[in-house]
Amino acid sequence: MSIENKLEDLQQRRDKVLQGGGEKRISKQHEKGKKTARERIGALLDEGSFVEIGQFVTHRCNQLGMEDVEAPGEGVVTGYGTIGGRLVYVFAQDFTVIGGTLGEMHAAKISRVLDLAMKMGAPVIGMNDSGGARIQEGVDALNGYGEIFKRNTLASGVVPQISVIMGPCAGGAVYSPALTDFIFMVDNTSQMFITGPQVIKTVTGEEVSVEELGGSVTHNKTSGVAHFRAPSEDECIDQIKKLISFIPSNNMEETPLVNTDDNIGRCEDVLNEIIPAASNKPYDVRAIINNIVDDGDFFEVQELYANNIVVGFGRFNGRSVGIIANQALMLAGCLNIDASDKASRFIRFCDSFNIPILTLVDTPGYLPGIKQEFGGIIRHGAKLLYAYSEATVPKMTLILRKAYGGAYLAMCSRSLGADQVIAWPTAEIAVMGPEGAANIIFRKEIKDAENPPEVRQEKINEYRERFANPYVAASRGLVDTVIEPKDTRPSIIKALETLISKREDRPGKKHGNIPV
Amino acid sequence: MKKFRVTVNGDSYEVEVEEVGGQSTQAVPTQPAASSAPKVAPIATTGPKTETKPTAAQQKKPASGDGKAVSSPLPGTVLDIKVSEGEQVSSGDVLIILEAMKMENEIKADTDGKVVSLNVTKGQSVSTGDTLLTIV
Repeated sequence: MSIENKLEDLQQRRDKVLQGGGEKRISKQHEKGKKTARERIGALLDEGSFVEIGQFVTHRCNQLGMEDVEAPGEGVVTGYGTIGGRLVYVFAQDFTVIGGTLGEMHAAKISRVLDLAMKMGAPVIGMNDSGGARIQEGVDALNGYGEIFKRNTLASGVVPQISVIMGPCAGGAVYSPALTDFIFMVDNTSQMFITGPQVIKTVTGEEVSVEELGGSVTHNKTSGVAHFRAPSEDECIDQIKKLISFIPSNNMEETPLVNTDDNIGRCEDVLNEIIPAASNKPYDVRAIINNIVDDGDFFEVQELYANNIVVGFGRFNGRSVGIIANQALMLAGCLNIDASDKASRFIRFCDSFNIPILTLVDTPGYLPGIKQEFGGIIRHGAKLLYAYSEATVPKMTLILRKAYGGAYLAMCSRSLGADQVIAWPTAEIAVMGPEGAANIIFRKEIKDAENPPEVRQEKINEYRERFANPYVAASRGLVDTVIEPKDTRPSIIKALETLISKREDRPGKKHGNIPV
Repeated sequence: MKKFRVTVNGDSYEVEVEEVGGQSTQAVPTQPAASSAPKVAPIATTGPKTETKPTAAQQKKPASGDGKAVSSPLPGTVLDIKVSEGEQVSSGDVLIILEAMKMENEIKADTDGKVVSLNVTKGQSVSTGDTLLTIV
């Protein structure tokens, strides 16, 4: 074969892979409002930065009719490229090639990407659009999933792992995304479930649609499996890029610095008035966050799930910070099972990747109720204490209003290792609320009084005056300073700048045993 | 379409009334801001009600099947009811103020629709999961 012929041969082989499942299947994919694997990678990465690896990999299944089946690219496109100039590894399952099903070699391509990402210290973004295991390949396919799960677990806390669901993702396939840090879903075209509607109908008789069972709304709102949802693939890809801009590439790197024109000394008078004078009136804590972060840019994570706690990323003086805040607007800002789960996972992500933590506290306590107790609020709530105590990144706590009892401790109190605790004058830090405390402490006096309700109110007021403020805690050094709300942004930036060099060691051990 | 100005507890509301073949009317409050007064003034429907709906009993029980029950997220006391039966609400509208965990919690609609049954009264204690009202 002459050199020309060899070059031509190479070109032909390449073209074949680039065509994926062929025009007919590609247009079918487009009809569903879905992009092809290559189009998705093209939209995600910086233009022209994608380098494909393993493009000539083929399956080696020679039974059940597979011997004659050609699968260009093995149903998954893998490689690397850049987002905003930073290296990332990607894989995108190609639904046009035998339904994007996962066989031995398909899995090997994904595993290869994960191995490289870990060695190079770069984030991995996996785009899922697959019919599931390639049944013809039997245990080889099954083993392929196992190989991926193992790598997902080993990579956890080493490089950020992002899963994007852009089509079906069912059965065992869901566990790779589940092991990663963030899951993105697209409305109407992406579904995740362990057992589909048909199996559910046969086994339990329940009837449910695919979208209702495992669509983007279900997993973002009800199950808490997913972290982001978008109405279209393009918007989903924009969200991924935005997330990447906030996080470092690996566990040895600091967070990326982003230039900002936002004044570090910016005071906001509006902050003095955000919290209502009456402590039983709700307000939106996101209004506070938006006022203090750089350029009002707060990127919320799991916006729809357990929204009695708000988590997400913002920047102060160009540095990323993970923000956790009680939301008085929902469930009175109580901590419950779902909120504890959501926040502790977020805190652990931040700690894994050197992202400082800012906690905004206004919670009356853990949510009372039989359902919560039966559901295990004790062990779920403990995760929050564990995650905060374990975290060695800079920890800043801003107490806005209510900080009572166990919930005060759980929200990154000084005792759990907060490096800087700042309180607003509206803060109420005490062992319990004035009503409850007065009832217990002054029980006898109230009972013996001529007019119990009057004395009771008197005692409540007395307790509130004396203890429902930040100064008792400040007198013990549990609060470092009390500031005027308008000065919050400069105060946090000063704290962050001094804490950035923080180093804290933990006793050497294999790993802790978080109450999962 | 007729316009009326109605004053309730000192708050003035502008309501538009449209007569559609003897059907019930729709109110459009011009002051959506939170106020202690009920959002919609109780207006008299023009003309006699010639509803062709089968029975009153059937109307009272829309919860089964269609309709979305709004249930209480917390154990507490109903402090205020911001809507009335038959009122059209849209997603995000405040329906009920529930005092719980020392907070005046706003219970909001998460769908558009019509309030078909109001299951609670002011001052009533409710537990988690109790149906407060139903929207169809």
